[in-house]
Amino acid sequence: MKRLAAFVVGAVFGLTLSWSGMTNPDVLRDGLLFRDAYLMLFFASALGTAFVGLRVLKLLQARALLTGEPVAWSTVRPEKRHVVGSVLFGVGWAVADVCPGPIAAQLGQGIPWALATLAGLVLGFALFSRRSAAVAG
Amino acid sequence: MDEQLAWYIGGPVLGLCVVALRWLLNERLGATRAWADAVALRFGGVHAWLLLGLIAGGVVFGLAGAPVDGYGWLTDTFTAWVVVPILVASGVLIGYGARLAGGCTSGNGLSGNAALSPAALVATGTFFGTAIVVSFAIEALL
Repeated sequence: MKRLAAFVVGAVFGLTLSWSGMTNPDVLRDGLLFRDAYLMLFFASALGTAFVGLRVLKLLQARALLTGEPVAWSTVRPEKRHVVGSVLFGVGWAVADVCPGPIAAQLGQGIPWALATLAGLVLGFALFSRRSAAVAG
Repeated sequence: MDEQLAWYIGGPVLGLCVVALRWLLNERLGATRAWADAVALRFGGVHAWLLLGLIAGGVVFGLAGAPVDGYGWLTDTFTAWVVVPILVASGVLIGYGARLAGGCTSGNGLSGNAALSPAALVATGTFFGTAIVVSFAIEALL
């Protein structure tokens, strides 16, 4: 049931990303170049909705419907890695005009270019794991 | 689905997905975490299933929506032999960077900011700023 719920939420997310053009590199690029306000309005309204929704859950002291645990989350203090990682991410995002969620939706749509981006993504994860292991060791 | 969904519908639906995952399972919605679990074949938790859902959402749109021709400025500018390595390199930056920063556009940009996590605010400002600068730089060079 939990996995099915996550699958359904993911499917709505993936369909919405696709339908709003987030899987189309031209839409991303026009947004980042301020030629079209769509990307910024889309992102801002998504964030605003998520913010209000999470506040409501907290106010209601809601429990998770499928696990029964109290709805709660922790916040993270900014560190250098958040800046460095986001600079690297931002470069890749601007060049490929895609981020991890839309890569998955592109694959589903059968966009062959997504296979190349995915190969890089997996390689990037592997490099990160090696670095983490080296730091921990 | 031939026409782009209005932002004032698509945005709130996307935001409600973040709320739904929190309310149903008390989990943070993030595509990077979902990918990391999926490629490591960790299907015991819920995040890899979220990833399968993302792909399924794309499948539905692929059957019903307007297909994308080519791949943006990359295929307008280069041949496939150049585009593929550029996409692989971009993927490395996206994957490594998102893991280092603890999230991407969804994990930090939506879920983290909605929870007012200071690290997410810093990350989001940084990747939006970087992506805007790089996009204008590409535009200037083309």
